[in-house]
Amino acid sequence: MSGKKTTLGLRPCTWVYLFLMTFTFVTFLVGQMGLSGLTVSLLILLLALIKGELVGYYFMGLGRVKGLWHWPVFIWLFIPGILIGTAFYLAS
Amino acid sequence: MTASTQAIPAGTDPRRPPGDLAIWIFILAELGVFAVFFAAYAFTRMNHVELFNQYQQHLDRRAALINTLALITSSYFVVRAVAAIREDNPRHCVNWLLAAVSMGLVFVVVKLGEYHHHFVVEGVNLSTNTFYMFYISLTFFHFMHVIMGMVILSAVAVMAKKGKYSAREHTGVETGASYWHMVDLVWLILFPLVYVMR
Repeated sequence: MSGKKTTLGLRPCTWVYLFLMTFTFVTFLVGQMGLSGLTVSLLILLLALIKGELVGYYFMGLGRVKGLWHWPVFIWLFIPGILIGTAFYLAS
Repeated sequence: MTASTQAIPAGTDPRRPPGDLAIWIFILAELGVFAVFFAAYAFTRMNHVELFNQYQQHLDRRAALINTLALITSSYFVVRAVAAIREDNPRHCVNWLLAAVSMGLVFVVVKLGEYHHHFVVEGVNLSTNTFYMFYISLTFFHFMHVIMGMVILSAVAVMAKKGKYSAREHTGVETGASYWHMVDLVWLILFPLVYVMR
């Protein structure tokens, strides 16, 4: 992930970093605006899961790994994601 | 030595995750614990929605934003450190690692400020209410991982400075990097769950 191949002069990891920063600001702004409710919560959760997958796939380097070790972060994000989403759904 | 037992340069076996396999067993165990914590928070909240929503507003979301940006930035620096050593540039690797540790230090200082406000100014403790019990437990458990990650990255930086790593052998750098990314990964879920979702 950290190779020198670039897009618009930036390494892939730098693009991922910029996406992560942007998604974080979006999450923060949602909180600052006081937005609440099931839909907003699930969207914020989805954004967090995407950020997590980006870290696992690109930063941790699991995107290049074949076989069983390609999946642990995806599975880890999937299980708590489903549980948290279900709990917020039941609480709404 | 036969072909099958010859050492494979770090990061070249496509079936193995980067770094020592043992750290990945440790990472999976840690992620499992945090998953249970997150699920427990969410399902406990089901029965105390108003309490959780009310006290969530007492948290310093700006401090959490700074900490999130600090951890993401430090993770990026660690990615660059791994890239530097793969390009056989130990000096740059050390510089990126030290930059990552400094971002970890930002996290620690901001978090301590947050704790000071809650514990000293507001007088909050574990038994104040269910929300604060989860807030303190979750964030402090993660805080300890940040401290441990900083120690690991510092140790890796010292080893890199001594010339122990190269483009051919840098398992230690990848091992430290994997642990630090795990610390970042957990916070990426913790931040929206505890500070934003309501």
